[in-house]
Amino acid sequence: MTQPFLAARNLSKSFGPNDVLRGIEFEVHGGHAVALCGENGAGKSTLIKLLTGLYTPTGGHVEFQGQPAGWSDPRQSLAAGIAVVHQEFSVLGALSIAENIYLGAEPRTRLGLIDRKALNRSAQALLNDLGITLDPNDLVENLSVADKQMVEIAKALRSDAKVLILDEPTAVLSQNETRHLFRIIRDLRERGLGLVYVSHRLDEIFEICTDITVIKDGIVTSKGPTTDYTHDSVIAAMVGRELGDLFPPKSPDPTAGETVLKVRNLVVSPELPPASLDVHAGEIAGLAGLVGSGRTELALALYGAAPATGDVTLMGEPMPYRDPAGCIEAGMLMLTESRKDDGLFLNTSVARNFAATTPGHGVHHNAIPPGHEERRAAILKERRGVVVDHVGLPISALSGGNQQKVLVARLLENRPKLLILDEPTRGVDVGAKAEIYKTLRELADEGMALLVISSELIEIVGLCDRVYVMRDGEIASELRGDDISEEAIITVAAAETSTHHGVAA
Amino acid sequence: MSTLARATRAQPVHLVVVALIAAVFLFGMTVSDRFATPLNLANVQDQMVALAIVALAQTVVILSGGIDLSFAGALSFLCVVFAALAGDSAGSLLMAMAVVVAAGVLIGVVNGGITAHVGIHPLITTLGTSTILAGVALLITRQPTGSVPLFFEDLTYERLGVVPYGMIFVIALYLLIGFMLWRTPFGTRIFAIGDNETAAAVSGLPVKQTKIAIYALSGLLCAVAAMYMTGRFSVGDPRAGVGFDLRSITPVIVGGTLLAGGKGGVLGTALAVILLALLANVLNFMNVSSFYQWIAEGVIIIAAVSFFAGKGKS
Repeated sequence: MTQPFLAARNLSKSFGPNDVLRGIEFEVHGGHAVALCGENGAGKSTLIKLLTGLYTPTGGHVEFQGQPAGWSDPRQSLAAGIAVVHQEFSVLGALSIAENIYLGAEPRTRLGLIDRKALNRSAQALLNDLGITLDPNDLVENLSVADKQMVEIAKALRSDAKVLILDEPTAVLSQNETRHLFRIIRDLRERGLGLVYVSHRLDEIFEICTDITVIKDGIVTSKGPTTDYTHDSVIAAMVGRELGDLFPPKSPDPTAGETVLKVRNLVVSPELPPASLDVHAGEIAGLAGLVGSGRTELALALYGAAPATGDVTLMGEPMPYRDPAGCIEAGMLMLTESRKDDGLFLNTSVARNFAATTPGHGVHHNAIPPGHEERRAAILKERRGVVVDHVGLPISALSGGNQQKVLVARLLENRPKLLILDEPTRGVDVGAKAEIYKTLRELADEGMALLVISSELIEIVGLCDRVYVMRDGEIASELRGDDISEEAIITVAAAETSTHHGVAA
Repeated sequence: MSTLARATRAQPVHLVVVALIAAVFLFGMTVSDRFATPLNLANVQDQMVALAIVALAQTVVILSGGIDLSFAGALSFLCVVFAALAGDSAGSLLMAMAVVVAAGVLIGVVNGGITAHVGIHPLITTLGTSTILAGVALLITRQPTGSVPLFFEDLTYERLGVVPYGMIFVIALYLLIGFMLWRTPFGTRIFAIGDNETAAAVSGLPVKQTKIAIYALSGLLCAVAAMYMTGRFSVGDPRAGVGFDLRSITPVIVGGTLLAGGKGGVLGTALAVILLALLANVLNFMNVSSFYQWIAEGVIIIAAVSFFAGKGKS
């Protein structure tokens, strides 16, 4: 076999005592598209950062065309021909499409000024070559998400790239946009580029990738040509166990309990149709849909953190005016999407984070005696499965999984009747995921009503008794029991309904 | 969008500022017969030169997502140094100019270097250098001291018709920096870093070097302002820069440049400088205490920012 364009040889990376990657062997050949699979936190993004020189390895090395690369700066890998399309786009709204594509490599006039004619001409040629119909003069801030990504790809390919790394490129794309992207990817592969494709969507991987490499907990658990794999064998390699072991059994009759949350004609945005849904005691209801389909917006509106009109009743009590404090008081609690941004007080102790929403529990005269929070937080280790040496440590010292367990435990201190969980296992390892799923199911069995929002279809399918699928800001379908499958959800969520692109407002 | 509009970074808000300038001007004519005279209009221009130069520097820094609070101390320090060295001959003047320009650039390199390499917020870095330089200026002299050659002092008072030389110089500077932002790779980098620093770094831009260059340019313009101010005063005042740190920000914000960076330009700053100078002049004619002028300026800042904040939501 010919020499790979880019390879990892016995590559390891640790941050302090944490081994993130161990002995990774990975290669990308010209004309191949390699899928990099793994759960969140498995080490995929660390590997990409090592491959592009953003991180330096603690063991092993990166090989470029058979030679040790020795990159210490992404600019070096970029110059060598390793281009990355990042999950968070690196295109700049304030600049034009052409300026973005040639950022840092603008064509110059003899005086060293930017040659705007040449700039626009080259950009136009590049866009034409990729079959992208955009005007290079347009400002990027006016583009749809899909078009921004096209600019990002054009930018990655402005110089003679040998390897193109795409990190979750379809997460924000509609089905048609994804088709267009795949045409471009196939075309690039035929031109002899090597591609690395990171995605959670197995269908896509089987459609366009020639090889698969699976990473789990920092090591390569499986790799080979795509033809050697099935959906199930990839999942098994990713999670390291059968799906049945990950998720506890579902409720036999989810809608038997009383209706805890009843929502009728909730209007989140005047352009969108009103939403109606129910959540019963004892069930885990799911809210699925593509990124930007309006799941989080709907949940925040329910929780009173975003403006909305409509009838919301909790345990039969109407809640016409909702704000987060009132919802907590009434027993409706929400785990927010991003732990770091709107969940944790990162520099504060585990104990104080745990007690944050109920600071006065068991205290007289509003004075919190020394050690009170720590004593209360003992329940974290005893009953909630949080692994921590000392609850006085800052919560930033905990792993993602343990942080998430603390947050869930914090919500339970308020004795919720309804729990809304937005991406409850994001950035959490598989072991902690299984524990969180178990906890959620136990809460449902005790009679709590749960509404889970997730981008991970496996999670929705494995955990939820009933699923509302959202598309373009509205609830498009409700699935129950055996009807809940990844295919069924995707079919509804990604159906083309209108001509407008990308993220809903 | 037309090329001209892109080049000047014109925004609808600029029309509002122009309308306000016209309103203040018409109001000024009703307040006093002496307002719309060539002498007074030349005075207004004289009064805006120094502020226009530091506001230009501040525009570039804010466009890159930074802020430069070092003008207060740096202007005082550079004025004192310039007046101490300028003497009374062309030779000593040239030497003083070289020293002050070098010192201004060095101050900027220190500001940019600490901000970029140590990773301290520029607010803190430049506040620190400003405080240090203010102290040094007062250690050098408590009283205004030194001198500049008479011909240099005259230069800062000469006019071409109704336009002072200083104003012509300012217009040239604005055109130059505006061209730099529009047509040079350095200009593109400034917008890129201000828009999204991480994205700029991932795109392979030399973010740290660019930041240092931005603050060095700011320091250079600060030195230019210091030389002009010393010429006007014909003496080096160790308190010359007091207040210029915050005053330099006002026209940038009123002119529509985003405090967060990445959006805006020198046209808005120029218009806002004119508006603020005219307003101060009219209030003078009305015999309003300068304390009321501060109040007016404060109201304008908050109104301007509220206006942009309201627009951002829609």
